[in-house]
Amino acid sequence: MPRRSRIQGGSRDRAWRFALLLALLAGGTLLSCQRSREPGPGEHKLVILGIDGMDPQLLRQYMQEGKMPHFSALAAQGSFRSLTTSIPPQSPVAWSNLITGMDAGGHGIFDFIHRDPGTMQAQFSTSRVEPPRHRLRLGSWVLPLGGGEARQLRRGRAFWEILDEHGVPATVFRIPANFPPVPSGARTFAGMGTPDLRGTYGTFYFYTDDPTAPSGAVEGGEIIPVEVRDWQVAAKLPGPDNPFRRETRPAEIPFRVSLDPVAPVAKFALQDKEFVLQEGEWSDWVRVEFTLLPGLVSVRGICRFYLKQAHPRFQLYVSPVNIDPRDPALPISTPKAYSRQLTEEVGEFYTQGIAEDTKALSDGVLDDKEYLEQAREVLAEQRRIFDAEFPKFRSGTFFFYFSSLDLNAHMLWRLTDPHHPAYNAEAATRYSTVLSEFYQQMDQVLGQVMSRLDDHTTLLVLSDHGFAPYNRSFNLNTWLLNNGYITLKPGANPEEGEYFAAVDWSRTRAYGLGLNGLYLNLRGRERDGTVPPGEAEAVLTEISQRLLAVRDPASNAPVITRVDRAATAYHGPYAKTGPDLIVGYNRGYRAGWKTILGAFPREVLEDNTNAWSGDHCMDFTLVPGLLLSNRKIPAEAPALTDIAPTILAEFGIPQPEGMMGRSVFDSRRTSVRK
Amino acid sequence: MFGYRLKLEEELLERSKKCAEASGYSSLDEFLLHTIEKEVTRLLGPGEGGPETPEEVRKRLQGLGYIE
Repeated sequence: MPRRSRIQGGSRDRAWRFALLLALLAGGTLLSCQRSREPGPGEHKLVILGIDGMDPQLLRQYMQEGKMPHFSALAAQGSFRSLTTSIPPQSPVAWSNLITGMDAGGHGIFDFIHRDPGTMQAQFSTSRVEPPRHRLRLGSWVLPLGGGEARQLRRGRAFWEILDEHGVPATVFRIPANFPPVPSGARTFAGMGTPDLRGTYGTFYFYTDDPTAPSGAVEGGEIIPVEVRDWQVAAKLPGPDNPFRRETRPAEIPFRVSLDPVAPVAKFALQDKEFVLQEGEWSDWVRVEFTLLPGLVSVRGICRFYLKQAHPRFQLYVSPVNIDPRDPALPISTPKAYSRQLTEEVGEFYTQGIAEDTKALSDGVLDDKEYLEQAREVLAEQRRIFDAEFPKFRSGTFFFYFSSLDLNAHMLWRLTDPHHPAYNAEAATRYSTVLSEFYQQMDQVLGQVMSRLDDHTTLLVLSDHGFAPYNRSFNLNTWLLNNGYITLKPGANPEEGEYFAAVDWSRTRAYGLGLNGLYLNLRGRERDGTVPPGEAEAVLTEISQRLLAVRDPASNAPVITRVDRAATAYHGPYAKTGPDLIVGYNRGYRAGWKTILGAFPREVLEDNTNAWSGDHCMDFTLVPGLLLSNRKIPAEAPALTDIAPTILAEFGIPQPEGMMGRSVFDSRRTSVRK
Repeated sequence: MFGYRLKLEEELLERSKKCAEASGYSSLDEFLLHTIEKEVTRLLGPGEGGPETPEEVRKRLQGLGYIE
């Protein structure tokens, strides 16, 4: 795509250098704008810290407690605003709003989980990894003809694509909903949505000789029974499914553990590596290689080992096998070489989209202490990368993402709130302040940034949504069943089976899918649709009113405080491809664990006793994000969709058609947006 | 690996651009691709691409933490 000149009147020197850059690019020379072009005097820069889940109420509390001196200074110097989040307030939706300047009607991401109405299959919303379509079968071997594909499903153009088109360099590190990274000249690294090497969003492995431990698949992992014989354990590390074998089974790497008979220590040997771990010790990243076609095809990954216990029982946790950033099996960066360059500078690091192993904690495989060790290492890695990349920033836009506040608010809320069903007083005495410690680390990072600000740099610190307690689960599909909108097959047990297995679609009018979505079973759209289009409006109105009337018998509190219609909430060509209603839960309530994927627990409402105890997938007005800047922000009610226009405006780039927001620095923005 | 290039006459190109703009698509390419996708799905039904079973989808999504 031809680059447009952004020549501004009066700067011949800058114009000459930009023309030279165009000439070099036209000659086919690959240049990194950040590295080859020195910034002109007074050239504007933009730094954005994207802190997932930073809550404005919690931040104000910690500021008042004196724990966030740099945030306090920034707010005093510039502005601190709430930032209207997305409908619904889920990270892939919210970050897509920020990235494109559009809502879900424009970018097509409505939830973590979408469905294909023609097949009623559920699918992950932001990306898909597809195998090769054509294969040659030779005995027990299958040879793919052509490669598979990792597809980015978010529509619209990312702000860094537009910056790149105008010659503005950008570094965008681990922004969610960018796997695989969209092609551009920007330096980008994929974040949330990046799978592990098995193609899942994180599958851990737990090896134990405890005969009372469950074995097989658990949420987010596998428990693998092993035997200890003569102080030796022989085990295998599962890898990706081998596409070259006719029968579907994962490639495996054997490894051996030699336990000391007396001391709590073990030696590990796998492939060409050996290392020793004490009980309670984490390994460094271990590089592994899975052979798929002997002598021809292999795929590399990285994983970490944690020796939970050597005696009396053997207990070993192995992290999900991550895509090796030194030699990625799937596209995770632009340019492709950026991933290797970064690894050579800072060492290996988590590449899976959500690195904090919350499922291992929820399953009881890791306890609170062990989970926090892993979570702190995730943040330590992100800070090492930040320390390596931020000093290189000379011009354009620098965006850096931090995940820790979000994941740790999810997992630690129960230890800060005595009213939570999962509250544990003993654990609270040890860990109730940990969340504030993670906030304080963000303050330290902000301090690093503020020390380098000059008169030509705009700083934005923002979050995609806030947080609230998740005390009670609302099983939407059970409610729809109990209220006559779903009918089951004769004799079907609603508590058995998954993903609507028991549903009689010919007598079903609506269903819930994902964390906030409610869909009509619409004739002409859904595979077995029953609701005539002419009756859709009446059914939606009826369901909305009844949902808003639901009260929790335990407290008489309203469970749902808002129900948005797609027709009014969304703007753009994809507005009709998502849910018909977006259910906005009250603080304290969220969609139940099993209803999300079409199951029918017995109770409509039940306590949430999971360690995942805080959430934000609620009424979007109750969990706003936040926005701070070193400049005054005239806009009193900025929204995520304003950020992309703000970024473009900083560099004098006209806002494309379809972007619905406006720059938060636009001086005309002094009234509250409706 | 394989692609297809399409040449549009000037009038159709201009009309397509107007439609893309009016409908809120971020680019002409996006509008054309989405329009073709919708029409092909309408005529032929859902495409191939190896739909995953519900169990496979659940396993893939469990690592996100938001689902059980």
